[in-house]
Amino acid sequence: MTDRRDDGERAAGQAPVVAFDHISKTYANGTIALRDVSFAIPARTIHAICGENGAGKSTLMKILFGLEGPTGGHVLLDGQPVSTATRDFAGRHGIGMVHQHFSLIPTLSVTENIILGHEPKKGVLIDRAAARAKVEALSQRYGLAVDPDAITGRLPVAAQQKVEILKALSRDTRVLILDEPTAVLSPPEINELFNRLRDLRDHGITILFISHKLNEVRSLAESVTVLRAGQVAGAARLADVPDNMIMQMVMGRPVEITRREPRQVTGAPLLVMSGVSLASRDPADRLRDIDLVIHPGEIVGVAGVDGSGQRGLVSLVTGAARPGAGSISFDGEDMGAASTARWRACGMAHLPSDRFTQGGVPALTLIENAIAGTDGDRRFQRGPFLRGGAISEAVAGMVEDYSVRALSIGERLDSLSGGNVQKLIAARELATEPRFLIADQPTRGIDVAAAAFIHKRILAAAERGAAVLLVTADLDELLRLSDRVVVMFGGQITAVLPNEAQLTPERLGPFMLGLEDMP
Amino acid sequence: MNRAFLAGLVRLAITLAVIGAVILAVLVPFALPHEHPGTVIAAFLLGPLSSLRHLGNVAEYATPIAFTGLAATVVFRSGLFNLGIESGVFLGGLAATTAALLLPSFGPFTPLVAIVFGAVVGSISCIVPGELRLRWEAPEMVTSLVLNFAILYAGVFFLNYYLRDPAAGSLMSYRIPADAKLDRLLAGTRLNSGAIVALVACLAGGVWLYFTRSGLNLRIVGQGPVFASHLGLPSRRIIMQAQIVGGMIAGMAGAIQVLGLYPRFSWTQLPGLGWTGIIIAILARENPFYVVPAALFLGYLQVGGDFLARDIGIPSEVVGLITAAIMLAVTATAIFQHPAVLRLIRRIRQVEAAR
Repeated sequence: MTDRRDDGERAAGQAPVVAFDHISKTYANGTIALRDVSFAIPARTIHAICGENGAGKSTLMKILFGLEGPTGGHVLLDGQPVSTATRDFAGRHGIGMVHQHFSLIPTLSVTENIILGHEPKKGVLIDRAAARAKVEALSQRYGLAVDPDAITGRLPVAAQQKVEILKALSRDTRVLILDEPTAVLSPPEINELFNRLRDLRDHGITILFISHKLNEVRSLAESVTVLRAGQVAGAARLADVPDNMIMQMVMGRPVEITRREPRQVTGAPLLVMSGVSLASRDPADRLRDIDLVIHPGEIVGVAGVDGSGQRGLVSLVTGAARPGAGSISFDGEDMGAASTARWRACGMAHLPSDRFTQGGVPALTLIENAIAGTDGDRRFQRGPFLRGGAISEAVAGMVEDYSVRALSIGERLDSLSGGNVQKLIAARELATEPRFLIADQPTRGIDVAAAAFIHKRILAAAERGAAVLLVTADLDELLRLSDRVVVMFGGQITAVLPNEAQLTPERLGPFMLGLEDMP
Repeated sequence: MNRAFLAGLVRLAITLAVIGAVILAVLVPFALPHEHPGTVIAAFLLGPLSSLRHLGNVAEYATPIAFTGLAATVVFRSGLFNLGIESGVFLGGLAATTAALLLPSFGPFTPLVAIVFGAVVGSISCIVPGELRLRWEAPEMVTSLVLNFAILYAGVFFLNYYLRDPAAGSLMSYRIPADAKLDRLLAGTRLNSGAIVALVACLAGGVWLYFTRSGLNLRIVGQGPVFASHLGLPSRRIIMQAQIVGGMIAGMAGAIQVLGLYPRFSWTQLPGLGWTGIIIAILARENPFYVVPAALFLGYLQVGGDFLARDIGIPSEVVGLITAAIMLAVTATAIFQHPAVLRLIRRIRQVEAAR
């Protein structure tokens, strides 16, 4: 179903409709989101923008859509520099955006949603007949069939997305931005969407398609720009480059990975999941037919593009969700209906991905965060009362041991930097000497030294005999720590690979992107 | 000196400055038309401190609102904005009166029995909205607000048909028997032994929240509900515990108010003590230890207002105006989270750390 008609030639000779000229963006807190980004998009083409999470895709689109201003450089439209962060910039220049999370009001009708913000008026009243006619005309012109009178929130997701696209097209739009539009759709719906998008291009609309799914990019777009760490890592016409080259651009130069010696696992597995499925409102959390075992002392790494089911998997083994089908057992005990408290009692510890909401309470002190959940621990408690002295001593020891940098242990948790928060959480979770450790993005966004420290502690836990489930988007980390790698895609396990020397990010890529399935 | 303590002083100083400024800003326009504007302000600010009796009045005003402030603190700490404490006070007063009138005398323990009865019955007002929230996710703010009035009218019905003294001129209960009344502490005031209970309750509440495991768990559930579930804490049970305790304290407030101050139960409207309790809880930053000074401060304003009304003829409603303006000012993030203030606090901490 690949469509590689080259429309670039049709646009040849014209100034590119959108061009980024040395765009930089540094946020007030010092985060550098974009560094000297320059590239151009010819008119009437579908252009893909690829990159990992945090590569700068969204920031760049926010700048083009006028939500934020760049701190350096210009955006050029039809060759003319424009200042984007001005009122109604996108509307005036015919730029429409379909957000990943819909910007529709569920209780309003389709017509009301589409005209919202630029309603046709009759005196002071909204001209409903004209509005309806306008929506019908739009819908017919672009072949996007919707019922103008339907209540938006009652429509299926794919139909809501059509409404969102029509809304984006409703103001003489020339450039349409789609941010991860396929995340919420099923494969036939994706096909349908792509056909509509090709029609739109034939109607003269330039489309910017943001995605990290390479197969989709290849089937839809004509050219691609890859962003990595806020910079342009490469650009190509898709007809000219093979998949693995794009993958290398997305993931960066292959790095030398120091693996740990894969361990010989012996004895019975600690965690056994078989045929497990999970139903969820969010399609990104759904799981189908998961088989997974982890032995004591073994680190199993889970690789996958964000939203491939990792969150669902973690929620099952932390007691946050119950499986819809299949069985989960831990150390021979059935854990299908186990609560979080039960999992904890069995020796589960969890380094969650969201440190400030799942891993601690920002408004409480380091001391309080460090002893949270140690109910009944005689060292910290005498009857119902907390033993202030003993607790301070123990927490000071943890802070020292994990080299958490803080003014004092009486400070609030949110006075610490991300890396130090994570070290404190690790100190708390590992203090119990867990038998089963779940490390979910354990080093995301923290500095190299802190990351190395966390890695050491995870390895030490495994040495002690803990079963470790490592979920990470950082392939370097994955290959550094894991004994075995499990790849997830679309809520299923697509590959189980021993972590041997020939296992590289390039080898993992096709599984992660759903291009290949293990037989 | 402790850095956190010093940094806390900055906030305290700002709070006091803001309160002073607000009082003057409201009071000066009332004082100016007066012959001697200075005496107006002096009467308001110094009157309550002028004699032991007036200080007693301050404490008398502070007693019920310290209870309700504590009740609001406990309830809010669980993360629920449960307004049931208002009708909890009413219900507690009514139930205590009922116990005093209808149960036999227990000698010196009669007030205790009546207060416990009032507390238990009063807690219903917080338990019901809490349960509705936990079971069906009904917003507790709405259900408790509506329930307040349902309880009021059910209570008035009960008063009219079961407790009403037909010999009294208006709708009120029979006289509360003398052995059910609380001891007066200070001649010339209505200050009673309930004030001591209030002080002890606030201190106990502070110890609970900050020095016990269950208090820590309550704060974790209230301030980090997602974290609490990741820890595997029994969140529902902890939240319900807080509703029960908060409701009982509110009921106690009503019981002690009625048994300590009034000859008969005569509330036919919500007494408003619960609402004041919410003000206290916010003023005290939901810290039971600060509830006592906050309640005394509002009591002080009230007595100052009485002076204005009695000696100068300025309506005592001015106090309500001042309280409202103070609430606006002390909850203003623009003042307390101002970058300049935060910078100052950070600098103090860093200077201390450098030493």
